[in-house]
Amino acid sequence: MAKLQTPRVKNWTGTLKKIWQYLSRQKRLLIVIFLMVLLSSATGLLGPYLLGFTIDRLDSDASTLTLLLVLLAGTYVIHSVAMWLHNYWMIGVAQRTVYQMRTDLFRHLHMLPISYFTKRQHGELMSRLSNDMENVSQTLNSSFIQVFSSILTFIGMLGLMLWISPLLTAITLTIIPLLYFGMKWITARTGRYFKQQQRHLGELNGYVEETLSGQRIVKTFSQEPKVQLAFKERNEQLKHAAYWAQVYSGFIPKLMNVLNNMSFAVIATAGGLMALKGGITIGVIITFAEYARQFTRPLNDLANQFNTFLSAIAGAERVFEVLEEDEEAKDEQDATQIVSIHGELRFEHVSFGYGEDEHTLRDVSFHARPGQTIALVGPTGAGKTTVTQLLARFYDPDEGSIVIDGRDSRSIQRTSLRQHIGYVLQDTFLFEGSIRDNIRYGKLDATDEQVERAAQEANAHGFIQKLPQGYDTLLTQDGSGISQGQKQLLSIARALLADPSILILDEATSSIDTITEIKIQEALIRLMKGRTSIVIAHRLNTIRRADQIVVLQDGAIVEQGSHQELLAIEGAYADMVASQFTEKPQHA
Amino acid sequence: MISFLKPYRKAAIIALVLMLVELAVELWHPLLLAHVINEGILAEDEGAIWKWGSIMIGISLLAFASGIINSFFAAQVSQGFGYDVRKKLYDRMQSFSLTAFDRYSTSSLITRVTNDVIQLQNIIFMGLRIMMRAPLMMIGGFIMALTVNVKLALILVVVTPLLLGFLLFMMNKGFSMFRRVQGQMDRTNGVMRENLMGMRLIKAFVRSRHENTRFISENVQLMERTAAALRLIETTIPVLLLIMNVSILFVLWRGSFHTDANIGEVVAIVNYATRMTGAFSVFSMILSTLARARASAARVREVLETDDPAEQQQPGAQPFEMRGTLAFEDVSFTYPGQSSPALSQLHFTAEAGQTVAVMGSTGAGKSTLFQLIPRLYEPSAGRIRLDGKLLSELSLESLRKQIGYVPQESLLFTGTVADNIRWGKEEATMGDIIEAAKQAQIHETICKLPLQYDTIVGQKGVNLSGGQKQRLSIARALVRTPKLILLDDSTSALDIRTEQRLLESLKQVDCTILMITQKVSAAQAADQIVLLDDGHVRAQGTHDELLKRSPLYKQIVQSQYGEEATGTDG
Repeated sequence: MAKLQTPRVKNWTGTLKKIWQYLSRQKRLLIVIFLMVLLSSATGLLGPYLLGFTIDRLDSDASTLTLLLVLLAGTYVIHSVAMWLHNYWMIGVAQRTVYQMRTDLFRHLHMLPISYFTKRQHGELMSRLSNDMENVSQTLNSSFIQVFSSILTFIGMLGLMLWISPLLTAITLTIIPLLYFGMKWITARTGRYFKQQQRHLGELNGYVEETLSGQRIVKTFSQEPKVQLAFKERNEQLKHAAYWAQVYSGFIPKLMNVLNNMSFAVIATAGGLMALKGGITIGVIITFAEYARQFTRPLNDLANQFNTFLSAIAGAERVFEVLEEDEEAKDEQDATQIVSIHGELRFEHVSFGYGEDEHTLRDVSFHARPGQTIALVGPTGAGKTTVTQLLARFYDPDEGSIVIDGRDSRSIQRTSLRQHIGYVLQDTFLFEGSIRDNIRYGKLDATDEQVERAAQEANAHGFIQKLPQGYDTLLTQDGSGISQGQKQLLSIARALLADPSILILDEATSSIDTITEIKIQEALIRLMKGRTSIVIAHRLNTIRRADQIVVLQDGAIVEQGSHQELLAIEGAYADMVASQFTEKPQHA
Repeated sequence: MISFLKPYRKAAIIALVLMLVELAVELWHPLLLAHVINEGILAEDEGAIWKWGSIMIGISLLAFASGIINSFFAAQVSQGFGYDVRKKLYDRMQSFSLTAFDRYSTSSLITRVTNDVIQLQNIIFMGLRIMMRAPLMMIGGFIMALTVNVKLALILVVVTPLLLGFLLFMMNKGFSMFRRVQGQMDRTNGVMRENLMGMRLIKAFVRSRHENTRFISENVQLMERTAAALRLIETTIPVLLLIMNVSILFVLWRGSFHTDANIGEVVAIVNYATRMTGAFSVFSMILSTLARARASAARVREVLETDDPAEQQQPGAQPFEMRGTLAFEDVSFTYPGQSSPALSQLHFTAEAGQTVAVMGSTGAGKSTLFQLIPRLYEPSAGRIRLDGKLLSELSLESLRKQIGYVPQESLLFTGTVADNIRWGKEEATMGDIIEAAKQAQIHETICKLPLQYDTIVGQKGVNLSGGQKQRLSIARALVRTPKLILLDDSTSALDIRTEQRLLESLKQVDCTILMITQKVSAAQAADQIVLLDDGHVRAQGTHDELLKRSPLYKQIVQSQYGEEATGTDG
């Protein structure tokens, strides 16, 4: 991935507009801030003027002088207070904006289809939320006000200069086109490097996240040198892009400086020549030189801000990129909420593939009456988990339909449908937090008693009590501290608490030892009673009792029927059962 | 942290010198203006005006050139520094033992490698370009004011140290506040990461709203803490301005009423005071960056200086050839921070070439036992011997190189199928990889993938079923032709047929195999079964022996095959 095309900041004005949409929500406060900036800039200009005025009258009488000093003190106080206020408020505006953008980003992620996440690195997405937003935050904090006050000061200065000497002002202003072309040259380069820098930063973040998550494997395989090398590669790419971004953007203040110095020199020379001809006095030259210095300062500030500004635009663009990803397909217009589900379930000629030319499921049809248990069996990769994913509408079938209680599942709102489906997934996932909170995830308003009862039924109560802090034991994200099997027990308890109408058990007990499994079998049977259940398991004795067994191979159904029926036809299922029991231990 | 700058000393010095050139030009300009006035205008000499004017333009260009070159050197120092710190951090993380690693949350480590380092880079870049200017300006102004009139400038003598003290106080306060900001950033990132990892579950349980609330509460904290820290820092400039301006008023007041100072001296001192004010405000901006950078530096240092006794090997440990006899001698282990032991007094031996099945209930300590073998953790008591030698005396690298570990949760990395298998052995040829894939019973499945061995898997890759992932991670372990294979319930998602074929092909491999399993069918083919219960070895022996001796084992068999399997009177 050494030399990819160099990305540019695609759409400046578009990105700016979008940021403005966020800012404009606080329009009123922004107006107040603007007024305060006006006040502080005005008092900022007034101060030096009054100071000069006072100095000229240092030898006048005490009362005049006192009045002037009091006036000056007032100006200074107002200046400081106005400045403090606009800073204070602006930080609020900026942080609220950043907060809103982060929240929107997060919320939007939840609306994206599952397929979005299977193609992205977690760390890369995280980088958008942290590093890219950080750039936006820094810019908003300071640049906004800087821009205002710089423009105001600039206008003020310009007015004063014009008033003193229009000709000299015109000469001074000759630096503006130079400035324009210089900036144009620089920004043509910086934009693309900033964009590159943020992208490489994201990639680095992604790599770090992935390898740190898999640290155990890195270690046991002694692959530290390998990941260090791969990290180094990404680190170098980042350094390269960041270096050029910094160099080019570093030119900006230098450009300002040279123009500043040049205008000083120009004023000295041109002013000197004009003075020779008697057009102006020396005093004017000095005032002018001083003003010219002060007048380029706001421009200088602006230029400096431009730096942060560029990297912020690059960052914001990456954030908006995610925000503009298509959401999980919208529910169909006439899709409704459902209050309850009986649990009649029908797959009608369902075909589905994750990609273009894959066929994970082909023409799958089966029917479950309310309360029935359907077992899905078959070799790995046969499409069992895919069936359950279609049921929860993580994906929709390419062909055929899924009918629930007589209605096409596409006519039911996704969230409404999922509310009635309980899941115990193959990959148990627990959150950082207490054990209690993790079980309660199944039903957020459950009482402590309900949580403990669910844990008891899932046979998890025993081990939880042995933990140092019992139900309040904190689980770390990588789940160290409790075993895989215990995690499965917790996720069963979580599903028990959720009390769904349709239950999906995808290898729910694969890491649980068989004795414990028998103990929770009863709870599972109780759990499945009155609910339509779909069970995936490799240990065949756990699914014997199913009302119907569906045998999948390569995405297609090869057999279906009850345990007895399938044994009778002596097909694939009978084979599997035989293989499991041929190795049946001899009598002792 | 400063030591990271050492390699860039030359570049840093050049950058600083160039900055001083710029500064000098700026200070020289007013003097040149005086020449224009004195020798040109007053002497009515047009030539002198041209002469001094072109000198002014010339040195402006000189300053510009220095500025541009400064950009290159300053960027080189700060980016080089950032690169080195990131590298050192990541290397350090890689050298952590799991005990040290578990102390940090993953998201916190990630923030430290990226965000914190950026804060540090910022301050360095700034330092090499403008930082020196402000203090120089301040000191210069201060001295000049004193030489003009000590009595008048007395107020500055009082105020300057006060202001410096105030700035230092603010910086310290800002430091602790920014530290909290970075900490909160970790937590916010943590929620984000968790959500990305558990998105399927969140969607299945329809918990988006709940997660949003959770995120918002962290996000609000982040907003509030950032705002509080920034507001504190932003208070400095207005306060500073006010104090300096009031001192100017004081100078004016004293100048007119109380001393014999002339107007010229008053003007000069006021002039210097305003310049100092300007310098002070730049200074406070630098301080805010500095406070933030200091907070980040502390977090970076924390990782670099983590005290981590484990993961060390005996000096002079040599690479060795493993035969594969593994002996546990009264081994006990307690996880850091937990009170009850996960393993106690474990005692058993696996002979070279044997297959040992480890069984036991959920939480009995099976996976913990496995983690001690590649020394992910060190036993709290007892000894583990490999081929008669203490594990801790062996070369860690050599030890791990000869172990093929297949974890319970099969984790793949973003990359192609071939890359993931090659992960086990860098120098594996395509032939080796295919051979390993065949042994792991995954070759046929791979051939059906869109790009076969070049298909991308991992976080950014295609959908693989649980069983497919497990077999890929088994292939990854097999490709290194290990002398010791650790299978941590790694066949749980496989159907019986595939599992049996896999176990069959493993028998052909010349090595010791330790396998955690729940299935009696898998265990009975083993040479030995170790039955764990609550961290103790409850029984050990062959399937037949255990069936006779161990009620617990009998129970397990019954749970899988029903009553008839064990006979009625054993």
